[in-house]
Amino acid sequence: MTAILWAFDVVLAVTLVALAAGVLATASLFRSIVLFIVFGLTMSIAWARLDAVDLGLVEAAVGAGLTGALLLNTLGHMRSQAEFTPEPSHGPGGRLALALAAGTAGLAIGAAVWAWPDAFAGLGDRVDTHLAESGAQNPVTAVLLNFRAYDTLLEIGVLVVAVVAVWALSPMRGRVLDADPPGLVLAGFVHLLVPVVVLVAGYLLWMGTDAPGGAFQAGAVLAAAGVLLLITGRVAPPQLQAIVERGAVVLGLVAFLAVGVAVMAGGHAFLELPDAWATTLILLLESLLTISIAIVLVILFAGGRTDAAHPPEDAAP
Amino acid sequence: MNDWTAALALFLLLNLVAGLARVWRGPTPADRILAAQLFGTTGVAIMALLADALDITSLRDVALVLAALAAVAMVVFVRRVWTGQPDPEEAADAGR
Repeated sequence: MTAILWAFDVVLAVTLVALAAGVLATASLFRSIVLFIVFGLTMSIAWARLDAVDLGLVEAAVGAGLTGALLLNTLGHMRSQAEFTPEPSHGPGGRLALALAAGTAGLAIGAAVWAWPDAFAGLGDRVDTHLAESGAQNPVTAVLLNFRAYDTLLEIGVLVVAVVAVWALSPMRGRVLDADPPGLVLAGFVHLLVPVVVLVAGYLLWMGTDAPGGAFQAGAVLAAAGVLLLITGRVAPPQLQAIVERGAVVLGLVAFLAVGVAVMAGGHAFLELPDAWATTLILLLESLLTISIAIVLVILFAGGRTDAAHPPEDAAP
Repeated sequence: MNDWTAALALFLLLNLVAGLARVWRGPTPADRILAAQLFGTTGVAIMALLADALDITSLRDVALVLAALAAVAMVVFVRRVWTGQPDPEEAADAGR
């Protein structure tokens, strides 16, 4: 048993390094993207071997699912531009400098891990000790939504800022996602798949307090359903004109801040969830965060203001 | 804990490594993405086997997510990239 798993880990580690090297070495952007999708899948297996199922879930949804879709969509867009000619952006000197910088950083991280004191067991024990008061049975959710809620608040803030930046900087005029109606097979497939994907997202959200899962995993899976609807023309690209769309983007952040401030009325510190309410508040926050994360990811996939055929009135010159 | 499931997971992982040759050599973009699609199925099976071999039941949820989302990249490929033509950048690699 141990020998088999040892062989499994060796093959896994060698494959990961080879895939990373292949992603960087190939001049074909398409081959690079496909290798990157496989890298995401392999990474998710690696997280499974490292007992980090939460990360394995994220990697499966984001690495093997959404990132590949995002990169392929971008490649299709780049190729549709007349002036697109793939050129290596760095000369030999630039590549050497980049390799040196990356190598130095890698060695520094390796040295830091090597110098890790044997006696330091991490914060896992402290999380386990206080798990009962967190309102969640899954230690990862307890840390993300309670013990270190500050980090999660800032992360959802980063996502909202990313949408604002993409919207402000990339009008992408002349870009229409896809005008052709999908064929019968694709339309039927999406028709069947989207409800299943939404169900899986709901399951991950509900499971998140007790087992691996939660808002980020559920949001990424829900976003994949949005991408499917978007890419087959079942829904129009988001325009962020309607108050509903804008509201959905900030919903998670606003709810997080509101809960954080509201608990202060009961004499708690900012974001310190009262024990009696913790489970309810975590589930509420995770549900709203899931919606925001999903819509943010779909908007980032669309990549900016997309409708050139019918520009918004205020965009007219 | 089960030796058989761990051995089968290793076998499938080696299958994935062998299939990487198709991703690298192509020749058409469809060959490459179909190989990646096959790995998605392989990944589902590996996760399901590891769930048994390592006794981590929640790995079945990872298999579920992989299975549900495996087709998303493929759909985007068909809608946005696939033209029926060979990879236009293939010549750049052939000269290296």
